[in-house]
Amino acid sequence: MGQESFTAQKRGVGAAATLPTTTPNGGRPAPSLLPRGRQIHKTFNNIKITILCGFVTILVLRGTIGLGNLVSSESDAVNQHLIEETNRLLDEIRSDKDPDDPDNPSEPEYNPNVTYTLGPKITNWDQERKSWLDRNPDFPNYVNGKARILLVTGSPPNPCDNAIGDHYLLKAIKNKIDYCRLHGIEIVYNMAHLDKELAGYWAKLPLIRRLMLSHPEVEWIWWMDSDALFTDMVFEVPLKKYDGYNMVIHGYPDLLFDQKSWIAVNTGSFLFRNCQWSLDLLDVWAPMGPKGPVRDEAGRVLTANLKGRPAFEADDQSALIYLFISQRNVWMDKVFVENAYFLHGYWAGLVDRYEEMIEKYHPGLGDERWPFVTHFVGCKPCGSYGDYPVEKCLRSMERAFNFADNQVLKLYGFRHRGLVSPKIKRIRNETVTPLEFVDQLDIRHSAQGSSGSQS
Amino acid sequence: MTESWFGQRRRRQLQRFLQKGKLTILCLFLTIIVLRGNLGAGKFGTPETDIEEIRETFSFYRKRVEPRRVLEEAETIKNDDASASGNNYATFDINNMFVDEEGDDIKPDPNKPYSLGPKISDWDEQRADWLKRNPNFSNFIGPNKPRVLLVTGSAPKPCENPVGDHYLLKSIKNKIDYCRLHGIELFYNMALLDAEMAGFWAKLPLIRKLLLSHPEVEFLWWMDSDAMFTDMAYEVPWERYKDRNFVMHGWNEMVYDEKNWIGLNTGSFLLRNCQWSLDILDAWAPMGPKGKVRDEAGKVLTSALKGRPVFEADDQSAMVYLLVTEKDKWAEKVYLENHYYLHGYWGILVDKYEEMMENYHPGLGDHRWPLVTHFVGCKPCGKFGDYPVERCLKQMDRAFNFGDNQILQMYGFTHKSLASRRVKRTRNETSNPLEVKDDLGLLHPAFKAVKFYAVVFTLDLELPFPFLSFPVPLPPPLVGEITFQSGLGSE
Repeated sequence: MGQESFTAQKRGVGAAATLPTTTPNGGRPAPSLLPRGRQIHKTFNNIKITILCGFVTILVLRGTIGLGNLVSSESDAVNQHLIEETNRLLDEIRSDKDPDDPDNPSEPEYNPNVTYTLGPKITNWDQERKSWLDRNPDFPNYVNGKARILLVTGSPPNPCDNAIGDHYLLKAIKNKIDYCRLHGIEIVYNMAHLDKELAGYWAKLPLIRRLMLSHPEVEWIWWMDSDALFTDMVFEVPLKKYDGYNMVIHGYPDLLFDQKSWIAVNTGSFLFRNCQWSLDLLDVWAPMGPKGPVRDEAGRVLTANLKGRPAFEADDQSALIYLFISQRNVWMDKVFVENAYFLHGYWAGLVDRYEEMIEKYHPGLGDERWPFVTHFVGCKPCGSYGDYPVEKCLRSMERAFNFADNQVLKLYGFRHRGLVSPKIKRIRNETVTPLEFVDQLDIRHSAQGSSGSQS
Repeated sequence: MTESWFGQRRRRQLQRFLQKGKLTILCLFLTIIVLRGNLGAGKFGTPETDIEEIRETFSFYRKRVEPRRVLEEAETIKNDDASASGNNYATFDINNMFVDEEGDDIKPDPNKPYSLGPKISDWDEQRADWLKRNPNFSNFIGPNKPRVLLVTGSAPKPCENPVGDHYLLKSIKNKIDYCRLHGIELFYNMALLDAEMAGFWAKLPLIRKLLLSHPEVEFLWWMDSDAMFTDMAYEVPWERYKDRNFVMHGWNEMVYDEKNWIGLNTGSFLLRNCQWSLDILDAWAPMGPKGKVRDEAGKVLTSALKGRPVFEADDQSAMVYLLVTEKDKWAEKVYLENHYYLHGYWGILVDKYEEMMENYHPGLGDHRWPLVTHFVGCKPCGKFGDYPVERCLKQMDRAFNFGDNQILQMYGFTHKSLASRRVKRTRNETSNPLEVKDDLGLLHPAFKAVKFYAVVFTLDLELPFPFLSFPVPLPPPLVGEITFQSGLGSE
């Protein structure tokens, strides 16, 4: 259109003076006369529209194709490389492979004629121990009237299959540290496999033996699983009750002797006196443990003899029950099967009642009103799969942890904002005389026995 | 004539139509662009994301923290593939589980200056009085051996780094071992006592609270969660500090003369339980409250201290600043220790472990066999650290094993190598276990011997008559041989 008017303008300019009446072409309309300003205006319009169109085109193209590919994709490649490296590193940390493993691991030869032993037989441990204690009065077995207890627990040396497992191991050990600080108990946290053959749940046997022999000043060794939490911070194990016994384990005698149930006692939390009898029991307990054909065969024997036991390799708990049943008159007079308080408390029946307990009861009872220990059997947070739904397990563990932590924080004037909350809130303002609360609330003051010692 | 005129007119109409068409299409495009800018267009993104992308592409700082962030991303990528099953731990997101039932505390008044608590001025007297009334909770558990509480901690939520919790677990095991050997009590904190003093400042309200709640504790030993004991046999020389209240690793010249921000380290320090300590905590705290106060204080510290980068105020720089500006008030009771590694920077120590094992032995505590190896900057629990992931984690494993070897040798074992989790036997089982002594004498060390004590105290205490009292320090040879009767009963 512009062109036409331009040419018409041209023609008009050329023929300004005369009005053509007839033209050689004939029939052409009269060209419109356009002043110069208009022309420029029109040019500008064109340019504007061109620029606008160009801009819009670029925007739209960018929206669809994107500019990313035009700038270096080098950063992407570096990122990818880092992700691969990190994955490799995580896998390496998590795997069981060790830089010192021989390239071709040789299977230990299985010799059916040799019975596994935990170590050379010791027969005079009681006398040896007594004379050591006499020679070392600096390391008495009773301090301030209380027997020296060593709490032993542990976990595998590799990271758990998933991160949550390690987090709950950390919370569990904090819980044990708190209880043991309040009650003057020492802790050994084991992360080493002392004996390749007795791995898994059997690993506690060589560990307990080793600790008993190295620490004659310890009167009681208390094994506790890594998935057991203290939920009564005030309750103390009534050791005086066990003066004539060498082993204290939670269980039910009728389940043990009458029903021969495989869950009649629980080896997740038990006490062993440091004496010859215990060494003998460990020696008799161990043979079902060695990995491989021995453990599998033993598993079959146990499943056949114990009620309700599923078919799997021999575990330490079933083996102990079998031992108690088959050699009852040898061992049972020194074993106290305790159920007056929850030395081991199966979690499923307890965790939902915490609010009710807080309302109606108080710490220090240790039994079903305020359980001493809540034990998360079957949850296996360190592995990949447990026997129960994950959400239920983790929520319950968090609740148990906070339930116990509230008892510790009470001295400091705080409490958790609900049993599943990691945050705390103040329940007592700061004062200028803090010691009045210390006297009232410090758990150690109620736990402290009379001073003096006895051997 | 009419025909051609009509054709021309037709043509002009056509042209006009085309021009209008062009205008219409143009306007349509503009509308689409505007809509994309306001509402977004799905996979075509929005201008905000464009700016983000451009920023990221051109940002070099991000490259430096890539490894840490990538560590976290790598985990999530792997987990996406796992099957969604109720019993599978890998697919569970723990953050959905936490619920804060009761509402937040009332926000503190922003006009009031921050304080850790109401001012206490007679703590020494209150404490002495309490100790007198509670002889069973004496503040000294042996001659020259005060009751010590080692305090450490971590956040209550799982680490953002998937292996962070594992390293926290190893670190606490390491501390449990040292404390068991040396008769030190342990407190692992997982609670944030004051939301304003979060991060590295969280230790201040915690320390104050513990000092006031545990009058029987003579020294509080704060230790970061990324610090590990590497000398299990070294006992801190307590009598050296009998006139001092605050012991940190550092150098006097670097703090008072150079004003260097790393002239001392607050990752591992000893604080006596007394009025002076409460006062220094009160003087230390004001730079801590989150937000404007902390940022402003950060600027002050960066300009005042040598070598300090620009970031919010941290407790270490604030302590240097406090000591430099109020030297007359505090320096007399502060001891900057550098004869042994109360805090040992890991970068210069970890490669020398094998050399140390060959040439030296535990019990030295210094550069020959460091007491503490502190992994500053590694931040294994968090998302971003200052060092490459691989170096940090591998070296933490080595330091852990280096310390653990000293524990395992008590029982006749050792790690197969400093990088290995497996252990091997160094001593066969015997039928006379009590005749065998461990090489380092850690099974029944002198610093763990039980002594029955009479009440001992602060220097001007008057002791009631039935108690025997002993001056401190006792000459060393007597330590192993004498046990004392307490006034309340006989042995």
